[in-house]
Amino acid sequence: MDIIRTENIVKDYILGKIKVRALNGIDLQIQKSEFVAIMGPSGSGKSTLMHIIGCLDRATEGTYYLDDVLVSKMPQSSLAAIRNRKIGFVFQSFNLLPHLNILKNVELPLMYGGLSHRKRLARAKEVLQSVGLGDRLKHKPGELSGGERQRVAIARAIVNDPSILLADEPTGNLDSQSGGDILEIFKDLHSQGNTVIMVTHDQAIASRAQRIIKIIDGKIVDGNSDS
Amino acid sequence: MAIPIAESLKLGLSDIMMRKVRSVVTVIGIILGVMCIMVVLAIVNGMNKSTISWMEERGGLNKIEVEQNWQYDFSKGGDPSFTLKEIRYLQSLIPEAEAFNPTVQEWEAVINKDDIRYSTSLRGVMPDFVKVEQWNIDKGRFIKDLDIDLYSNVIVLGSTVAKEFFGNNDPLGQTISVGNQQFIIVGVMEKRFMQTQGGQIGMGDNALEYMNRRCFIPISTMISKVNPGGKISSLDIRAKSPEAAKELRRKVENIVLNLKNGKRLFQVTSAKEQLDTMQANVKVMEAIFFLIAVISLLVGGIVIMNIMLASIRERTREIGVRIAVGARRRDIFIQFLVQTILITALGGVLGILLGFAILKQVGNYLQIEVVASVQMIWVSLLVSIGVGLIFGVVPAVRAARLDPVVALREE
Ligand SMILES: Nc1ncnc2c1ncn2[C@@H]1O[C@H](COP(=O)(O)OP(=O)(O)OP(=O)(O)O)[C@@H](O)[C@H]1O
Ligand SMILES: [Mg+2]
Repeated sequence: MDIIRTENIVKDYILGKIKVRALNGIDLQIQKSEFVAIMGPSGSGKSTLMHIIGCLDRATEGTYYLDDVLVSKMPQSSLAAIRNRKIGFVFQSFNLLPHLNILKNVELPLMYGGLSHRKRLARAKEVLQSVGLGDRLKHKPGELSGGERQRVAIARAIVNDPSILLADEPTGNLDSQSGGDILEIFKDLHSQGNTVIMVTHDQAIASRAQRIIKIIDGKIVDGNSDS
Repeated sequence: MAIPIAESLKLGLSDIMMRKVRSVVTVIGIILGVMCIMVVLAIVNGMNKSTISWMEERGGLNKIEVEQNWQYDFSKGGDPSFTLKEIRYLQSLIPEAEAFNPTVQEWEAVINKDDIRYSTSLRGVMPDFVKVEQWNIDKGRFIKDLDIDLYSNVIVLGSTVAKEFFGNNDPLGQTISVGNQQFIIVGVMEKRFMQTQGGQIGMGDNALEYMNRRCFIPISTMISKVNPGGKISSLDIRAKSPEAAKELRRKVENIVLNLKNGKRLFQVTSAKEQLDTMQANVKVMEAIFFLIAVISLLVGGIVIMNIMLASIRERTREIGVRIAVGARRRDIFIQFLVQTILITALGGVLGILLGFAILKQVGNYLQIEVVASVQMIWVSLLVSIGVGLIFGVVPAVRAARLDPVVALREE
């Protein structure tokens, strides 16, 4: 079953009078529990595609089914709920809130999900333990190393038990040692049945995925399941 | 489902605690505005209270006073007094008056009994005096019509005078002399008391003590025996109601003017009209302070709005992250609106505390009574919350409208 299915996704950015076409007809299928890597040159539209898949942004044209639900026509407020329950985002630059301790950072999606304080606490602790940070709960992100911060970000992404994990160059800001650790976590998550989509520039990392999708100039040139 | 207000409050509070100094600076305009409101309300409360209680102590709002007109140019001739006959005539023209009392004053009468001498203000009055002044008798009786007709030598003492001469003994039926006349004491007036206000120095704590030092005899006795040639220089009238007093005042003024051949020897005032003028003055004061408060709150609100806008620019990435993990626009809107309101409410509370702290000083400085009230707290708190509500909307909308993709790209 396809967890993600897009048809002819086009994304234009209008900058004054200039129209920038970031995505130019993306037809993409990804199955449940797949581990996919997306590669491509800088500016080819990888992040843009991730944002659309993650319901952070909308396509200019085309349709997008997530879990067989047509999300490309959904209203803003429903998209927020989808981001909250079905999507877990991991960014290159971690994007943790610096003034909150890591427990609070991880609780954030649960708070917007409307969970009670007690349940939030228990669940966030559990997830932080699973990424090996159970003894750092009260630390602020600034007190952690890059690899540890990315582990917090992963904990935050999986705390709501999402259908898809989206990671946009999650190892891009890390040395190869901690990058490898992060990749192991994604592999573990995948082996537990999670769907993982990861953008990377690193061929070695990409080769650990089940499938590599190549994008150039906003078009998929290789790796789609049909091709 | 929205994140509950409680969450937003917690979030806002922790943000404020994180940025303590900035939050306090932000809110100086609100603090000043709220202090201003507090002071205004306290002054207005105080003025209303003190003028009304002063009026009430002096016979209430039904009272009309006819007194010598100090602005009259006496080189034009005229005698600012009434004869008993004129008074009788005047009284016959205003049957609607509830009470009517002319007074002849003897400022420095000496009363003595045995070897006690007491210098007092002695007043020749009529029975209606007690009605006009709303002043009851404590012991015995007041002067009666018969006393006037018979030129009786009866006297009613103020409570302090009674104490001076008789201590705790009963003065009724005792004789006392005024000049060479012997008087029988028939009554003692109730003690009058009104707390002295801050700023009036040298009066003791009873602002009305001077009234307790007065003594009263029939007006006829006064003119014929004690102070021959004494003149009726003042007249007090009691109308049926404060509104009737306004009407009656005009009527009395015309009658007096006619009696005195068109010369303005007397001025006729009604307590109600005086109060109205005073309250109009208070209203003007109120309006001025209100304007100051509004301006400082407006400035304070604009300052807060701009600081919130700057803070949102600084927190763009945070907003992007929140949206990415599932915050709805509404959640972001509420988060920032609640935070602005919390900041202004905090300013309101500081303003209330500081306002209370300076109230007494302001009262002493302006030499007026200030009266704090619970209503002030509510008004101030509501106003500061209102300012947060109004000036928090623009930043909150700005935050809620951020494009998360752009916000996350922000460095
Ligand atoms: N908000 C935007 N406004 C205008 N143009 C944009 C915007 N976001 C992206 N673009 C353009 O869209 C194109 C695709 O950008 P995108 O960020 O998706 O590339 P990318 O493949 O992720 O690149 P990188 O590997 O450098 O991260 C680029 O040409 C970029 O300049
Ligand atoms: Mg990118």
